[in-house]
Amino acid sequence: MAGLVENISLIGDEIPWLKALRRKGEEAFLKSGVPGAKTEAWKYLKPKELATDDYVFSCGGCSQKVKQEIPFSCYRICFENGRFCPEGSFFPEEIEVLPLIEAILTKSSEIQFWLKQICDLNKFPFAALNQKYLNEGVYIHLPQGFVLDKPLVLDVHTSCEDKNLFSNLHNVVVLDKSSKAEVVEYYHYDGELKSHYFNNVVNQIFVGKGANLKHIKFQNEAFKASHIAFSHVLVDEKGLYDSFCLQRGADLARNESRVILRQQEAECVVNAAYKIDGWAKVDTTTDVEHLAVATKSHQLVKGVIGGQAKGIFQGKIHIAQDCVATEGNQLHKALLLSDEAEVDVKPELEIFADDVKCSHGAASGELDEEQLFYMRSRGIGYEEARQLLISAYFEEVFALLDNQDISNWLKSFL
Amino acid sequence: MTTPLLEIEDLHARVKEKEIINGFNLTINEGEVHAIMGPNGAGKSTLSNVLTGKPGYEITSGSVRYKGYDLLKLSPEERAHEGIFLCMQYPVEIPGVPTATFLKHAVNAVRKHNQQPELDTMEFLKMLKEEGKKLGIDSEMMKRPLNVGFSGGEKKRLETLQMCILKPRLSILDEADSGLDIDALKVVAEGVNSLRDKERSLLVITHYQRLLNYIVPDFVHVFADGHIVRSGDKKLALELEEKGYAGFVKEN
Ligand SMILES: Nc1ncnc2c1ncn2[C@@H]1O[C@H](COP(=O)(O)OP(=O)(O)OP(=O)(O)O)[C@@H](O)[C@H]1O
Ligand SMILES: [Mg+2]
Repeated sequence: MAGLVENISLIGDEIPWLKALRRKGEEAFLKSGVPGAKTEAWKYLKPKELATDDYVFSCGGCSQKVKQEIPFSCYRICFENGRFCPEGSFFPEEIEVLPLIEAILTKSSEIQFWLKQICDLNKFPFAALNQKYLNEGVYIHLPQGFVLDKPLVLDVHTSCEDKNLFSNLHNVVVLDKSSKAEVVEYYHYDGELKSHYFNNVVNQIFVGKGANLKHIKFQNEAFKASHIAFSHVLVDEKGLYDSFCLQRGADLARNESRVILRQQEAECVVNAAYKIDGWAKVDTTTDVEHLAVATKSHQLVKGVIGGQAKGIFQGKIHIAQDCVATEGNQLHKALLLSDEAEVDVKPELEIFADDVKCSHGAASGELDEEQLFYMRSRGIGYEEARQLLISAYFEEVFALLDNQDISNWLKSFL
Repeated sequence: MTTPLLEIEDLHARVKEKEIINGFNLTINEGEVHAIMGPNGAGKSTLSNVLTGKPGYEITSGSVRYKGYDLLKLSPEERAHEGIFLCMQYPVEIPGVPTATFLKHAVNAVRKHNQQPELDTMEFLKMLKEEGKKLGIDSEMMKRPLNVGFSGGEKKRLETLQMCILKPRLSILDEADSGLDIDALKVVAEGVNSLRDKERSLLVITHYQRLLNYIVPDFVHVFADGHIVRSGDKKLALELEEKGYAGFVKEN
């Protein structure tokens, strides 16, 4: 019997700075608690059920890794039930890949430097909660100029049991100057379908000068599970953070990206797609901060919502003073498959500079009857025709993924 | 006597409370080619849509029998499986669906219904290439999203191609000739004619007698105010070309 805030013993509590970080997280979370309708940033998702569920914390060592096929050649870092799993993990030796706690113990000053750059936790209750349990996760560091030849998959698997597992992964990804990598986060599960497990993830990502990170995420959690993720991304001069997130699972989910283009000509792509059914509530929240001149951002989010599900998009573009020659585009589109499906959209533009190109838009609609009829009149069954149209709807955003293997893999889950 | 392929009796149909088809009768036997001509807004496309089961039309009375069965009970896809095909006046654009993908789904859906093995991608593409060639359709076009950005003539060629590969028993051509240049008209007509045999029937809707020089009809009907006002043989088309519809249409 446990809630979200418990005193569990964690490795490294004797390290003062670590203890202080954890305590800071706890304090910030206790101050806000689980946000509800009154907290602007969470007013649509209202994740109040998280406050009342009963949790167990990831227990024991790592259990046997359930091998999951990934149909493209890749490196892998495996987590099983919230724990790093050396078995099944493999990656090139030229880059640093360490379980977070090992990095904390062996590279204290380096990791401290990165961890302390997290944003104001008072505004991010779940990131605060995650920091309270700072322990599990991975530290990935690419040296200057290194180009990773294959995607690196963070394979996060949950074996659902009748108990609700609560895990807090915290990943730190650092790309030094001119390095290049493709990182794929993959959340999936086996076992008890109705498990209310909760994955609370924080990624701290640093894209160095001229570096290029492709960050793909596939959230395919169990259908009663909760998944809340926050990526805090800092991009330096001419760096590119190019991301795409597909959310397909979970009952309650949020993927939040806060991307800070902090030096000139930094650029980001924050694309996403979601396909949800039943009673799921799935939230995509973005906040792109243009803090330097000639920075660029692009966002395209497409959702397909069926049943009584609810899709949420909150997207903010902020352009700071004097950030001239900046470009920010944002577009959210949703397809509603039933009368009870719902979509809530909140775009926000904050522009404090001149000479900027900025656009945003939102549209929602239903499947086109004419298109549906055209297909059916050629013998294609109703369901098949619907599926084809849904895939077609997503094509616009999938077409922007340049890794065909990954794109095909993701599409096979739609 | 064999059962007619299509038998429409005293059909009345409305769209949004407005009666468009009223008292329509037509019988098409196997192997026959019927042409329907009529002024704009007479209800020709509406009739095509009703026959193919497009949602949004209310049948208020009358019956349609196809191969002796009640056609109106079937879903659009079931009608297609049974061999009804509509070459649309305005083919629909579907962004995101490559033309070839769509055609493969259509061909295999019909094959499945006929208990034929589905074609794999290789077999399908080979067949598509051969059939496409006959209609002068470039195989690059098949990679593009369905009908998106296709010229009027290209759309009509693609409709004809679908007809040729689905091999329907009853093809309804709703202005298959509109937007076609003179050469394309011949190519499309050849495609259509290649399907003609003693089992297959055609219902050709057109405004121009010219198409009927290529696809020669057994019967020509004048369609005005929601029903057939006169029927004859191919000479009727020539007469219409000369005199127009005056005398057939109610004075307003
Ligand atoms: N969905 C609809 N809502 C309202 N009116 C409609 C609808 N569909 C058709 N109509 C009307 O029904 C009438 C018949 O239309 P239809 O398209 O069948 O004519 P048509 O004979 O095919 O004409 P054309 O030769 O111009 O193609 C027209 O007056 C049209 O405006
Ligand atoms: Mg018409």
